[in-house]
Amino acid sequence: MQEVPSVPLLRIDSLRVESITPTSAPPFLQGINLRLMPNEILGVVGETGAGKSLLARAILDLLPEDLRVTEGEIFSRERPLSRLSPAERRAFRGGEVALIGTNAKELLDPVVTVGSQLVRVLRSHHRVSRREAWARAVSLLAEVGIVNAKERAHAYPHELSGGMAQRVVIAMSLISEPKVVLADDATLGLDATVSVQVLDMLVERTRKMGVSVILITHDLGIVAHYCNRVAVMRSGRIEEIRDTVDFLARPDHRYSQDLLEAAKARPIPWVRSIGKADTPLLEVSNLVKIFPGKRPGEEVRAVDGVSFLIPPSETLALVGESGSGKTTIGQCLVRLLQSDSGRVLFDGQEITTLSEARFRPLRRRIQMVFQEPYVALNPRWRVRHLVDEPLRMLDKLTSAERLKRVHGMLELVRLPARYAELYPYELTAGEQKRVGMARALISRPDFVIFDEPTTALDIRVRAQIIDLVRQLQSDMQLSALFITHDLNSVRSLAHNVAVMNRGRIVEMGSMEEVFARPKDPYTQKLLAAELGIEGIHGPQGSAAAKKKGTVD
Amino acid sequence: MSRIPHSLRSPAAVIGFALLFLQILLILFAPLLSPYSPVEADALASLQPPSAAHWFGTDITGMDVFSRVIYATRINLLISVVSVAVAFLIGVPLGLFIGYYKGIVSSLVMRLFDFIQAFPIFVLGMALVAVMGQEIWNVAIVLAILFTPVFARLIRAEVLSLRERPFVAAARCSGASDLHIMFGHLLLNALLPAMVQVSISIGMAILLTAGLSFIGAGVRMPVPEWGLMVSSGAQQMILGVWWVSLFPGLAIVFSVLCFALLGDVIRDLLDPTKTRRAVSTSTDIIPGIGGPL
Repeated sequence: MQEVPSVPLLRIDSLRVESITPTSAPPFLQGINLRLMPNEILGVVGETGAGKSLLARAILDLLPEDLRVTEGEIFSRERPLSRLSPAERRAFRGGEVALIGTNAKELLDPVVTVGSQLVRVLRSHHRVSRREAWARAVSLLAEVGIVNAKERAHAYPHELSGGMAQRVVIAMSLISEPKVVLADDATLGLDATVSVQVLDMLVERTRKMGVSVILITHDLGIVAHYCNRVAVMRSGRIEEIRDTVDFLARPDHRYSQDLLEAAKARPIPWVRSIGKADTPLLEVSNLVKIFPGKRPGEEVRAVDGVSFLIPPSETLALVGESGSGKTTIGQCLVRLLQSDSGRVLFDGQEITTLSEARFRPLRRRIQMVFQEPYVALNPRWRVRHLVDEPLRMLDKLTSAERLKRVHGMLELVRLPARYAELYPYELTAGEQKRVGMARALISRPDFVIFDEPTTALDIRVRAQIIDLVRQLQSDMQLSALFITHDLNSVRSLAHNVAVMNRGRIVEMGSMEEVFARPKDPYTQKLLAAELGIEGIHGPQGSAAAKKKGTVD
Repeated sequence: MSRIPHSLRSPAAVIGFALLFLQILLILFAPLLSPYSPVEADALASLQPPSAAHWFGTDITGMDVFSRVIYATRINLLISVVSVAVAFLIGVPLGLFIGYYKGIVSSLVMRLFDFIQAFPIFVLGMALVAVMGQEIWNVAIVLAILFTPVFARLIRAEVLSLRERPFVAAARCSGASDLHIMFGHLLLNALLPAMVQVSISIGMAILLTAGLSFIGAGVRMPVPEWGLMVSSGAQQMILGVWWVSLFPGLAIVFSVLCFALLGDVIRDLLDPTKTRRAVSTSTDIIPGIGGPL
């Protein structure tokens, strides 16, 4: 804070990063110009492959071996990095610029206690005694919000939850008091409420310590709530770099506009069939699923007496955080898991007690779209075989007829027919997701379970998938169970919402009702943790402000 | 040229394929290449050192070592390839089943494998030969029994992790039966390590065939077989008669080397990191990188 504001902490001048082997491919990064001022939080957004992570690695001078900087320079407080000696470079990494990576559990050394890992970082940058370093580590762990830090410092990484591990990684990056923190998708994969806590804590700590942050993310909500300025990256270039509030109000570039548009919720098509409340298609009552606990004799009630019903051509969203039991319900419905008690009536027929052979004909009518697009497709099968598998199991069709149906399905999910001959690894994540949908829909089901259809997708791809599902809902009159933790997508897709917490439904009602007037404290907490991009008119800094606004 | 994968142009691959090609030539054209009959004794020409007439010399009964080394390629590779093929054909489906079904039968099969693999191979060989006689096929049976657990275990280990993958759950949701999941989905994904093992096992089988014959639990004289030839020459070794054992010994070395090298080549060809790279380029340039530094 004592620094003269006109000297940027980090300056990047027309940076260009290319592959060592000469190729015709465009450079990985080009024409990057960036200034990071003291006490600034700069958001870097972009889709997969835009070069965000590569930029962070270039700043740390840790490019992959086959890439190098071919043009431009990075200055740290006006010192060019390329002139640093190897020893100075080591001091620079972690000493002046620290990185917070994604997936904290994998970043921590599994055989060393977290306290010692912090001590290791501190002692490699500052001359302090082991005892003092330990004391600093413990106090920093407490400051980043780890309860009982004194004992937790002796814990091994596997004993921590994902959120705790992420806090430890943040503490590790802060312990040697760097000037700049690079947070590379630091909260990816954490639950929304945890993610908000972690980000709040990070921002608060960096404010207090006078640290500048480059927040790399693909989530515009995070940018809107935490960043002073935002840089939009696309295929190795910075498209625009502006003040966040201006950016949200009037993005300059076409691409930025697309991104913002894609991140907004769409009003739900109200296809509720005209007063047809006669028989629900699916009726679940008192469903219970118990898993054995860690110790013998212990049991975990993953699904604890859940009841709901879904009328024909309506969508129910099951929302909740990880471990709430929502995916378990989906798996019980398609009989991947055997429920312990309760009834599931599908079209008036009890399905939990059917034998697998009797249930098989019903599988055509109940399909599931799986969560991870890549791992849910057999890597050694071509798309046409992946898509027509349900048909082969259920119908006696010639292969020409099947191929015709496959092409029809691919068209429906907006994939070119030539994709039928490709393998999953040749597709992007969004395309894989579409293949997963084509596969579930080819048997013309009445009821589809979508398990997290929008997670781990880029902003625009996510919007395309949402539009696709909306289209399918209205075209095919599908009934659907929509399992997600992405509240924003619920706004666009579901008629009704059931909020789950620890195996129970804590609140259920129409989407508008639940989102506008949440009654249960847990629902309120979930909604408060949502980082939307709409209705942001001033610099907010942290989600705390918004929380006060909604839960008044 | 550029379409040939890099791993096929490495020195190991070139030497491996050259040796394989040489062995195939020897097997196909043994009668043309060998100057004498491999089994006809000539008492007058006993224990002659290598010369223009007998390139590798003769053994104690006067049989031409060069001709016998060539003919033995047939016997040795026949036994090895057949035994490994049988082990592969039995072991792979067995591995699929015991990996897919976790039950008492699977546990029993695994314990049986433990027993087979703990049993000394040479004792097993001698026991079988004692019961069934000194036949070529007995050696092949011993080796097939020995290698079946190897393939079954490899497949089982793969299946154990594959069966928990979401694409298996997805298949089940589309109404796939257990058999379809096993042979349609799991087999192809689980096969790679077993493919590498095939080549390595053939090399080991050659070595074990020779070993069994050497201790007298393999084929019988005068069948041309490398291990038996080394064994018959061993008695005269101290008299300075080195050629009777040396040349079949070298044949064993090169043959085993060939299949070991080819095993490495297969591994490189099917290297999972290559597929992973292909995946990552389609979705992301740089996967998540290192931690706080």
